[in-house]
Amino acid sequence: MNYSIMSHMIASYPDERTAMQVAKGLSRGGASYLEIQFPFSDPTADGPVIQEACTKAIENGFTLDRGFTFITELMKIIDTPVYIMTYAAPVVYIGVAEYLRRAKASGAAGCIIPDLPVGSDEGMYQISSELGLDCVPVIAPNTSIARLQEILNVGPKHIYAALRAGITGTKTELTEDSLSFLAEVLKYEVKVLGGFGIRTREQVSALDERGVASVIGSYFVERLESLIETDADIEQGMSDAISSLV
Amino acid sequence: MAEQINNMPNEQGYFGEYGGSYIPPQLQVIMDEITESYNEIKNDPAFIEELKYLRKHYIGRPSPIFYAESLTKQVGGAKIYLKREDLNHTGAHKINHCVGEALLAKRMGKKKIIAETGAGQHGVALATAAALVGLECDIYMGIVDIEKEHPNVARMQVLGATVVPVTRGTQTLKDAVDAAFEAYLKDPVTQLYAIGSVVGPHPFPMMVRDFQEIVGIEAKEQFQEMTGAGPDALVACIGGGSNAIGLFTAFLEDDVDIYGVEPAGKSFKEGEHAATLTLGKPGVLHGFACYLLQDDEGQPLPVYSIASGLDYPGVGPQHSYLKDIERVQYKTANDSEAVEAFYTLSRVEGIIPALESAHAVAYAMKLAKELGPDKSILLNLSGRGDKDIDYILANYPPED
Repeated sequence: MNYSIMSHMIASYPDERTAMQVAKGLSRGGASYLEIQFPFSDPTADGPVIQEACTKAIENGFTLDRGFTFITELMKIIDTPVYIMTYAAPVVYIGVAEYLRRAKASGAAGCIIPDLPVGSDEGMYQISSELGLDCVPVIAPNTSIARLQEILNVGPKHIYAALRAGITGTKTELTEDSLSFLAEVLKYEVKVLGGFGIRTREQVSALDERGVASVIGSYFVERLESLIETDADIEQGMSDAISSLV
Repeated sequence: MAEQINNMPNEQGYFGEYGGSYIPPQLQVIMDEITESYNEIKNDPAFIEELKYLRKHYIGRPSPIFYAESLTKQVGGAKIYLKREDLNHTGAHKINHCVGEALLAKRMGKKKIIAETGAGQHGVALATAAALVGLECDIYMGIVDIEKEHPNVARMQVLGATVVPVTRGTQTLKDAVDAAFEAYLKDPVTQLYAIGSVVGPHPFPMMVRDFQEIVGIEAKEQFQEMTGAGPDALVACIGGGSNAIGLFTAFLEDDVDIYGVEPAGKSFKEGEHAATLTLGKPGVLHGFACYLLQDDEGQPLPVYSIASGLDYPGVGPQHSYLKDIERVQYKTANDSEAVEAFYTLSRVEGIIPALESAHAVAYAMKLAKELGPDKSILLNLSGRGDKDIDYILANYPPED
């Protein structure tokens, strides 16, 4: 049984060469999608694990140029679709159109920018559909049905459902509430990615049963850190980390 | 156009192209609830009465206007008048919106009110308001500021608030905002994040402005009564911009020149100032669009000011708009000008200003000379300087 997982990693973390091994490992181990975060100094939806990694990646010299070059290089060696995840500030800074154009040129499949919600997206959904780029809106358990429909009206191929309020990292119990929220989203013709606190095969399996792909982030960042500490083979280690979940 | 300004923001929280709500969806629902509750209570006679009562009997409003005659003589130019927000309960203008936010939190059934603080003025004011209405209170503060503003930290603790030290990043205001945001996202149901200025996602820039607007409404009437005319110029310091918006709002349609004063810090080199409107460009941070100090990669730049309440890389969206339409002119004062003004006002008027407010005093002194003796300046003395005394004595001891 192969479950569908969107695995998360951070560009330039801990450095570009290692990040490339991480991406290769995750892809080889069976990720259906790679979510590659371009670090921003104030990642408001992320927990401490990802925040600290982002801070280090910026200190280590992450730039947009390097980020897009990383994707370009990566796409030469893997087939897994890549989604760039970041925050509004650096996107608006160079302009949404320019950012999306560069994302497309790098070979990315799409973007996930949680603080550019539909309606306050500075034209992101319009421009991305013109470019053939898959921008993924984010919803939360407290998103109303009316709002969900408003979001689906922009015609996304995927929708990212945060399975609880709060920030990334802490383990989420898949409660009746979060599952009934998913059931609502699943009524529509859109592929659902479920995330926030997914770290076990049981969770992945429970989501898969409902036709939902799992987004896994902090867990992989932690695994990467322990691989670095023990000086282990990064690509193999990350591949093993994901294959134990898929 | 003036009429338009007073109708701002629009329903989505935009002042022109600034403001709005750039936040993850789990937070948007909460912001919508706050907007809805605020829109309900702001027209509720019981709420209006309660606020009026507390303004008069608790905060001590109206705060007086004082003609700084000795300062005027020493500068030798336009007459300088001070709106004495430093005389409010807790010693600054922040209490104006904190009482409003605490009442709102109580009305919404929240158990706890949380916030960030820079100089500690907002933190003290919120801890005070929380004690008054019976709410728990957590205040997030960078450890650099905790060391610098020790008296305010002690006051918050005495008032029963928990001061949460923030050790990330530059360990100042921006990082305290991040930490408070994160805590809020973890539990947006039982807590209310009472943002400390006219910044953040909608409805905060509007709501905090509405609670601060009383400053200008009073000042306009008092100034007229005192002098028989309106002022020729208004001056206020700008960090996020709450005291400035408080003074300016009632005057936006009037024939008066308006000046906001930003901190020029040690120099205009990156990381040595926080002159956001002067040197920044439009961008998005902490859930709203405004002028921002960012590097070439769109990351917020480190900022600095001698006044902890002013060192923020963004600024209120309404100020960003008022700059673009040229209704307000944004100027700067640097650290040494602020320190000089701090001593001058203390020595000639017996009023010790907060280092934040000292930036406004510094620019008003400059402006007074330019305008000449026939003109008048109304300055918002937003806070008192007790909190800064240890820092000043250690770093800029008196020369005599």
